[in-house]
Amino acid sequence: MIENEIYRDVAKEDFRAECARLFSGGNGRLRLMFAADLRETGEGFCVYTVFSHAQEDRFEILRLKGIGGEGGKPEFPSITPEVPAAHWYERQIADMFGLVPSGHPDLHPLVLHGLYPPDVYPLRRDISSEAISRHLALENEDLSPFMEVKGEGIYEIPVGPVHAGIIEPGHFRFSAVGETIYYLDARLFYTHKGAEKHFERIGFKEGVKLSERISGVSSFAHSAAYCMALERMSGTALPARASAIRTLLLEMERLYNHIGDIGNMCAGTGFAVGYARGASLKERIMALNHQLTGSRYLRGVNTPGGVLVDALQDPAATLREIEEITEEYKSFISFLTSSVSHVERLENAGVLSRAIALGLGATGIAARASGLNDDLRTSHPHFYYGQLVFETHTRMKGDVFARMMLRADEVGCSIAIIRSILHKANGKRIEGNISDGGEWEAAANSQALGYVEGPRGSVFYFVKSGANGAPLRVKPRAASFCNWPLMPFAVHGNIVPDFPLINKSFNLSYSGSDA
Amino acid sequence: MGMSNLQFLIIILLSPLLQGIIRKMKAYAQGRIGPGVLQPYWDLARLFRKDMVISEAASWIFHATPFIVFLSTMAASLMVPVTTPDAPVLAIGDIVALLYTLALGRFFLVLAGLDAGTAFGGEGSSREATVAILVEPMMMLAIFTAAVAGGSTKLSVISKSMHILDSPAHVLAFAAFFVALIADTGRIPVDNPDTHLELTMIHEGMVLEYSGRYLALLEWAHYMKQMLLFTIAIDLFFPYGIAGGALQSALFYAAKVLVLAAAVAATESSRAKLRFFQLPSLLGGAFVLSLLSLITFVMLGR
Repeated sequence: MIENEIYRDVAKEDFRAECARLFSGGNGRLRLMFAADLRETGEGFCVYTVFSHAQEDRFEILRLKGIGGEGGKPEFPSITPEVPAAHWYERQIADMFGLVPSGHPDLHPLVLHGLYPPDVYPLRRDISSEAISRHLALENEDLSPFMEVKGEGIYEIPVGPVHAGIIEPGHFRFSAVGETIYYLDARLFYTHKGAEKHFERIGFKEGVKLSERISGVSSFAHSAAYCMALERMSGTALPARASAIRTLLLEMERLYNHIGDIGNMCAGTGFAVGYARGASLKERIMALNHQLTGSRYLRGVNTPGGVLVDALQDPAATLREIEEITEEYKSFISFLTSSVSHVERLENAGVLSRAIALGLGATGIAARASGLNDDLRTSHPHFYYGQLVFETHTRMKGDVFARMMLRADEVGCSIAIIRSILHKANGKRIEGNISDGGEWEAAANSQALGYVEGPRGSVFYFVKSGANGAPLRVKPRAASFCNWPLMPFAVHGNIVPDFPLINKSFNLSYSGSDA
Repeated sequence: MGMSNLQFLIIILLSPLLQGIIRKMKAYAQGRIGPGVLQPYWDLARLFRKDMVISEAASWIFHATPFIVFLSTMAASLMVPVTTPDAPVLAIGDIVALLYTLALGRFFLVLAGLDAGTAFGGEGSSREATVAILVEPMMMLAIFTAAVAGGSTKLSVISKSMHILDSPAHVLAFAAFFVALIADTGRIPVDNPDTHLELTMIHEGMVLEYSGRYLALLEWAHYMKQMLLFTIAIDLFFPYGIAGGALQSALFYAAKVLVLAAAVAATESSRAKLRFFQLPSLLGGAFVLSLLSLITFVMLGR
């Protein structure tokens, strides 16, 4: 059994109260909620909730099983009234499985845009991918309406789903009074790729490649979390050197993302020189990624049971390059913070309150810049993080500036971790193989969680195998899925031309969230 | 037909080059090589060859605006001395007529932004009108200082004074005029000429619905207006050298345009765009400068 995962079945009448108890007091965080079609094992449709404890390294996984069994209606009690963080998960479950969260305050389609006929539920096991694509028809286009704000002087600005420039698709509907945003309704999931269904089809080992492609700039975080889930499911031990390499590369991924994001914020304020410097620094780190692993996006490295590429072969050379990048970064960040016109735009823009962040289950930068101390690297140490000494950061103000400066703080932390791993490797203190050598085999009838703290926040995977060791359910959860619902709250009361800047300060992934 | 009657061609033909030079300077500031200085010409040539997509909601205003904007800018350039102190068409138009000829183009551009009925066009038009209200009086005041000092509202008369920022009043007026120039050409910190981020656009928002030939005319007119404003600044505040031989005055003019271009590129590269509602404080501040310049002139008598 996996030490920090506690599985429990709960009765339907206790489900909501039990979830509310785990969530209450700001101690528990809803990390993941999903359904599984376990009719072939006789357990019917099941809904899982995964709560983590803030102080202890422990995940409480509640399961409500047998939904819709024996001719009953396929519904389950919604926990959203008690646990607001569940509201998107429940809508997703309703779309994908046809299980209705009864008592959900705002139930309408989230993932499937009416392109699907109303009675096709893609993640049910008895419908094949081919059947889904047969059912798709543009005539079915009947999108659920946007939230309409009524009142004198309120007008709507529709933006997207196709945007200027190379941006992923999303439709934003602003209700504004003059230049002031009153409400923002976002329709996402245009890049829904059916990844969850595809995981079941291609098998666990092929799934590594799929996990790397769920969200481009979080490729490594996703494949690491997925491999971790597979390893925990089968009880495979990860060699120390592989664990250190994963930690090193997770931090490299955080480094290029954070620096790229800091630079991107300059595009939001029209500060072209800052943007150009950030982009060139990011490019330098990605070139180092390529040198270390053969992939700028760190793909093709993770495999269940270890890593395929030894990124610690020449730690001394890597250290030298990291030192140079650090110098360049320091001059970049002091240039930005001394650019008054830039900083002025960031301060007090897009404030996200701590209460909203906590209630809606914010993760990553969005949570930590609003005063939530939520970092899986310390709360649930994975890979090599337990052997390292480092400091995590939070900021209290929750505005765009806080998110930029938090990224800057975390860049410092990432550099320290990278240095410390490289120094250890240089001193021959991280030796051994990079994988356990044997061919990884899935265990039958088994399940596990995998998780990492990625650049945008926590990334979770749940994997469950059937009697033959084939995937019964694979549930990825990207950080952005938790953070998109924060956006209407962060932009409320800001002016329309500040939206791109606020959006960039969160830098959420469409692809990851849409899966 | 002397040189003086053809000098407006300089503005029409070389304004895309000026745009290319400013872009090149900005690219260097960002550590990029950037496209060649002739790129705006290729862009215009490409646009002239392309088909147009026109909104079904568009009225005659949408079709007329590119011509009105282009022709009004061209007419304005007829009133400006470029390389000789005599403006191409001396008989008509002083600086006031010139500014309001330009304003005619702006008026139609704002209407055209609203005409296609899209959210971004309306947004751009509303913002453009807001900025224009703040910029125009300030620009007029700054110009009046130079006009009072030169004893005429005719640019050719003012430019014959051959001074270079020769009094405190001129320095203050030039500072105000420079801010107006930045705002009027849609540059940072007022507008971002390089962005197509839907929600932040001003000028680009108004012309968003245009394509093909119409867009080419509007872009070209925009380049011309930029060079025109540069030229007005030179005539008002640095006319020194304009009355020499043809070669000498052309060299002086080129050098002065390049210095102004460098100043614009440096301003754009050294700071971020202002938050939209902070624009009144920048433009209001510049208005105070232009008012001070007039008062200074009256008090000092020069």
